[in-house]
Amino acid sequence: MNINKKPLALMAIILSAGALIVTSSMSGNAALAAEEQADRPDPMLIVKGAKAWKENCGRCHNLRSPKELTDDEWDTSVTHMRVRANLAKKDTDAIRAFLKASN
Amino acid sequence: MMKNNLLQTSAIIVALLGAMPTIALAAETSPSAAEVNQALLDRIARLETELGDLRELVQQSVSNAASAQETANNAEKTADNVQKTVKTVERLASKVAKSADSASDIQWHLVGYADAGFVASSRPGADSFVTGKFNPAFHFQYKDFFLYESELEFTTTADGETNIELEYSQFNIFLNDYATLVVGKYLSPIGQFQERLHPSWINKMQTAPAGFGHDGIQPSSDTGLQLRGAVPLGNTRLAYSFMVGNGPRTNIEGGVKVEGMGSDDNSNKSFGGRIGFFPVPYLELGGSYLNAKVNGYAGGPSAAHEGISGITSVTTGPTDATYELWGFDAAYTKGPLHGRFEYLNSTRDTLFSVTDVAPTGELLPQFGMEAWYGQVSYRLSGLGDSNLVKKLEPVIRYGEFRITGRDELSAENSQNRFNLGLNYWMAPTVVTKVGLEWRDYKDAGVQDDTRYQFQVSYGF
Repeated sequence: MNINKKPLALMAIILSAGALIVTSSMSGNAALAAEEQADRPDPMLIVKGAKAWKENCGRCHNLRSPKELTDDEWDTSVTHMRVRANLAKKDTDAIRAFLKASN
Repeated sequence: MMKNNLLQTSAIIVALLGAMPTIALAAETSPSAAEVNQALLDRIARLETELGDLRELVQQSVSNAASAQETANNAEKTADNVQKTVKTVERLASKVAKSADSASDIQWHLVGYADAGFVASSRPGADSFVTGKFNPAFHFQYKDFFLYESELEFTTTADGETNIELEYSQFNIFLNDYATLVVGKYLSPIGQFQERLHPSWINKMQTAPAGFGHDGIQPSSDTGLQLRGAVPLGNTRLAYSFMVGNGPRTNIEGGVKVEGMGSDDNSNKSFGGRIGFFPVPYLELGGSYLNAKVNGYAGGPSAAHEGISGITSVTTGPTDATYELWGFDAAYTKGPLHGRFEYLNSTRDTLFSVTDVAPTGELLPQFGMEAWYGQVSYRLSGLGDSNLVKKLEPVIRYGEFRITGRDELSAENSQNRFNLGLNYWMAPTVVTKVGLEWRDYKDAGVQDDTRYQFQVSYGF
């Protein structure tokens, strides 16, 4: 059987090169995903934050929507409220995690 | 027998005659040996040609395979390069993230509030639009180490001038998870209203309760130090704010001014604070205390206005006096129902000082102030399907303010105050308030006042 092997060889090369690139990319993505996972707060912290947010922030004023401020603005705003409302750091950390997760 | 022989002979002849065409045809189509040989040679020649072609193909394939190997090697090198590039990008991303973290070490945020409104009064000629206030506040945070915050208050005076006051300017240094050191001018932690509830987008009425605003019993601010934070107690916590500051001063009217002073007129510092406790998450109970020394003034009322202290003329009584303030507060804030109560009581001992009515000095008797209020509000968010109704919040408040020991101040301020209001919340921080305020002054010479108030406020 007369088979022209040139296209097959080229296809094999392209596939192997693609596989290498994809594998390498997946390896990079996996590393990034692992980093993101490491940066992601504990889900229980977010739950505690939602509770602390409702109990403490609503004590003096209406609850603002988490989407009202950016993450950076929430950072500063929650720090301000840590002082003004006599909150412990663990409470503000939880509230901050909840607000950012909901933002 | 002969017949049989004849028949046999005839059959043979017939068979031979029948076979003749076939034999003749065979003789015509059968190749000769030479032809067969030639055909075989031709076939061999074709096979040799095909073999040559195949050989050429094989050589080409070998050549292609070598080229393919080279290309594969190149692709592998490219893939390695890609992998290195990905790692480099990851390193850069990490550096960028670290850089971003570094940049976010310093964060700032502009917040604040503003309001405007209209007041109609039962007193003649008192109906007026009011410009209200514009209070920008700045928060500058450096890592988790400290937060600097400051709020300015811009108001327009009755004669059209712009008035600017520094509400607070404080460094909050985070000592640990439960303690913050506050340095600078801060809102007074005594009670709740001044520190937490006075911004117009938080205050559910257009005005402060009697005695809890400017020139009232509740200190608005002080300059000094605070140690504040929270102590965990099982599932709840204890909130504490301990302060030492420049403290109050005797004012020209013979009362006590408890608004943050930029400097101390005597070496005696005020000290006190507030402790709050949460028996259940939605109930806060608090107690406050403040102790200070205040001095009398000499040199005339203008000297007192300018803050000049120290008795230099002949006196007929003590030149300093103890000032003491105590109180308690409670707040129940669950869902749409908010209930609040605050009580404050202060005394200043007998003191000799010049005043606006006694330029050479007078012996001021013990001076006392007492104020309290209760307030209930209910957000109708859970009633019905109407979006309009859900945004409404009726409010009722009643309070009393009493001053003893200084008749002039008592006449101006001692009163019972009753408020009814209805708030419409366009957004969690945008509110339109309409309300009625009845001021029942306790001095017979002061006309009672009924006010119809409208205010729009925006917290940003």
